[in-house]
Amino acid sequence: MGPWGFVFLAYGIVWGAILVYLFSLKRRYSCALEELAQLRAAEESNEDAK
Amino acid sequence: MQLLREAYLLLWKDLVLELRRRESLLTMFFFGTLLLFVFHFAFDLPPDRVADMAPGLLWLAFLFTGTLGLAQLFQAERDNQCLEALLLSPLDRGALFLAKMSLNLILMLLVEIVVIPLFWILFNLDSWNLLPQILAITLLGTLGFCVLGTILAAVTLRARARELLLPLVLFPLMIPVILATIQCLGAVLRAGELGEALPWLRLLIGFDVIFLTVGVLIFDWVIEV
Amino acid sequence: MVKSVEKTKRGTGILGALAFTAVAVGLYWGLVQAPPDALQGDVQRIMYLHLPSILTAYLSFFLVFIGSCLYLWKREKRDDNLAHSAAELGVLFTALTIVEGSIWGRPTWGVWWTWDARLTLTAILLLIYTGYLMLRSLIDDENRAAVSAAVLGIIGFLDIPLIHMSVYWWRTLHQPPSILRPDKLPWENVDPAMLAALGVNLLAFMLLYFYLLSLRLRLGEVRNEIKSLRLSRGAY
Repeated sequence: MGPWGFVFLAYGIVWGAILVYLFSLKRRYSCALEELAQLRAAEESNEDAK
Repeated sequence: MQLLREAYLLLWKDLVLELRRRESLLTMFFFGTLLLFVFHFAFDLPPDRVADMAPGLLWLAFLFTGTLGLAQLFQAERDNQCLEALLLSPLDRGALFLAKMSLNLILMLLVEIVVIPLFWILFNLDSWNLLPQILAITLLGTLGFCVLGTILAAVTLRARARELLLPLVLFPLMIPVILATIQCLGAVLRAGELGEALPWLRLLIGFDVIFLTVGVLIFDWVIEV
Repeated sequence: MVKSVEKTKRGTGILGALAFTAVAVGLYWGLVQAPPDALQGDVQRIMYLHLPSILTAYLSFFLVFIGSCLYLWKREKRDDNLAHSAAELGVLFTALTIVEGSIWGRPTWGVWWTWDARLTLTAILLLIYTGYLMLRSLIDDENRAAVSAAVLGIIGFLDIPLIHMSVYWWRTLHQPPSILRPDKLPWENVDPAMLAALGVNLLAFMLLYFYLLSLRLRLGEVRNEIKSLRLSRGAY
């Protein structure tokens, strides 16, 4: 593997990993937001029921 | 000093308990000895290489033996809910740290005093005259292990898989102690004196002092109900 | 309350845009603009990743330390969130540093791994902070987990100078006069064009780091809110 091969391997892995982490963050965040919305909705319906 | 008196009281209690039942002491002792046997089978040690490898092998044995001791360190308190009682009492938690640390230190030293000469016998080493220095260095290294180990044993007390987690967090942090002790022991075995390894000894002592202080100060937060 | 949330979202968005622009510029500068190294050739360009990565990792672990200290002192969830988030990012960047170092080492030294001081230290750092994350995940009680992690975060950070010293001494004593040279930073006789590329990439990494950190902190805040809601409802 020539020198540029190693360079692209390194850069590829690094930026790939960062992108994967970024997407993982966004996905976890939207899941959490959904959960929060559900909890809040449930709380409100509880309030209404009372 | 109030702190030391309290620590002494707690230590006395634990020592009496331990010497009556001898659970930890015996298991640690047999485990340490067993490891020596395993090393003999695992490593094909020609006689001239043994002295070189002795510090590393001994310290591997002590690390694992010590971890056994740490795992059982707070066992008595956990079993009978004594921990809550201890924490409710007006005892300084720094004293609890000193007591537990000293307990593990004493247990490990008792094991080491037997295992080191045993190593010399089993592996046919000649340098019996160096044993006092060897023991002194081992003491300092064991102190470092017990200090950091006690803090982390308390930190991992409420964790799942605590027996696995403790070595996992402890060993990387122990690297200065491991390196320093092995370098000092190696120098003594090769040349009969520390010589160039003196900076390592200073590092070891520094480590002991720093984390002893940190332990006493931080134990308030470490051990909570 | 809604307005401040909106502002934060916009701020994060701007930071993200800045970060990615800087990254793109850095990529160009590192891969195209900067000259190849006299000795190592183009492989040396990995340095534009490696050095910023490790510096980012160190910054991250310093933030873990700060967050841990603040949390033990004031017990505010926000500080615990900082420590946890910084630890996660720190582990990411440390792992990347090791991979980059290894890939750089292969053509330079002929081996994928060597126990030289720098790589060894980075590996130890990775072990310590992975342990931190494992500790957090293995303690069920939230508050205990936070306190225990804070103690570990402080002790880990305090130990690092000692680990640094011991590993460096160990490697210098044992370094055989062989072909394997330690990973020396080419500070002497550095081409200013290289330094410029390094600077740009460092800036890019910092911006990217703070962008990722802000996203991760936001996630932590939402999770904390979920937990406190659950707690107040008496469930879980």
